[in-house]
Amino acid sequence: MWSYDKKLQYPVKIKNPNPAIAKVIISQLGGPDGELAASMRYLHQRYSMPYNEVVGILTDVGTEELAHLEMIAAILHQLMKGASPEDIKRAGMETYFVDHTAGLYPQSAAGVPFDMKYVGVKGDVIADLNEDLAAEQKARVTYDNILRLVDDPDVRDPIKYLRQRELVHYQRFGDALRIAQDRLDSKNFYAFNPAYDRK
Amino acid sequence: MCDDRSRLLHKLQAEDFAVYEAVLYLDGHPDCRHGLAYYHRHRETAMRLRAEYEKKYGAITNTSVCDASHFGWIDGPWPWEKEAN
Repeated sequence: MWSYDKKLQYPVKIKNPNPAIAKVIISQLGGPDGELAASMRYLHQRYSMPYNEVVGILTDVGTEELAHLEMIAAILHQLMKGASPEDIKRAGMETYFVDHTAGLYPQSAAGVPFDMKYVGVKGDVIADLNEDLAAEQKARVTYDNILRLVDDPDVRDPIKYLRQRELVHYQRFGDALRIAQDRLDSKNFYAFNPAYDRK
Repeated sequence: MCDDRSRLLHKLQAEDFAVYEAVLYLDGHPDCRHGLAYYHRHRETAMRLRAEYEKKYGAITNTSVCDASHFGWIDGPWPWEKEAN
């Protein structure tokens, strides 16, 4: 089970609401490389993982992604709070507003609702960990692109923090892949799938 | 949020972060003595700060509520609100 801490992992305090920025940042809520996809990916991969160290990494990184999902939600909530219908129209957010008002619905910046098709659970140690390494890099690129588009230092600060966490998670999944490969047949990593086959 | 509360919260967030960073590392290096020493050092400080924060400003988890007459867990601001940070 999980328990909830009534605090963010890192502070979000945005002085000036700006729905135009929320329109792009929402991709990190429900887009293909967003925090919801990240948490679901790791937390579901762990059940078939045969190595305790890797189960630990998937559990703890997956849990941290839930905290990042909440930080992105805090950023979006504060950017949209108090926006008038005129502000929404000026920001080009009326197509979102008509369905969700100021509520937070996980979708990509282009309006595609969150989809588990973004998440790979192959049930194979090497395939899953390589997916995770790629996922962290893709999330890092999305944060880089957000930083290209956003000037407000109140928004950039937590976004930079989240970008940095992608790099650290990439390192930890590197540890996980090394641990897994050290335990596989050194002549052929692909001789069998330790998440399924019995040697 | 008053400045004192905000300051204490940020200190707790920093210590909790140090602990969590150590957790992710220790998952892959469970026998690293330096990592474990770092974990224990920050965990102790984080626990002290958490107790101080909860005593002054209310429960951080819904199982650490101490009030006898009001379930303070539901009192805002909630973490995603600007005023909570």
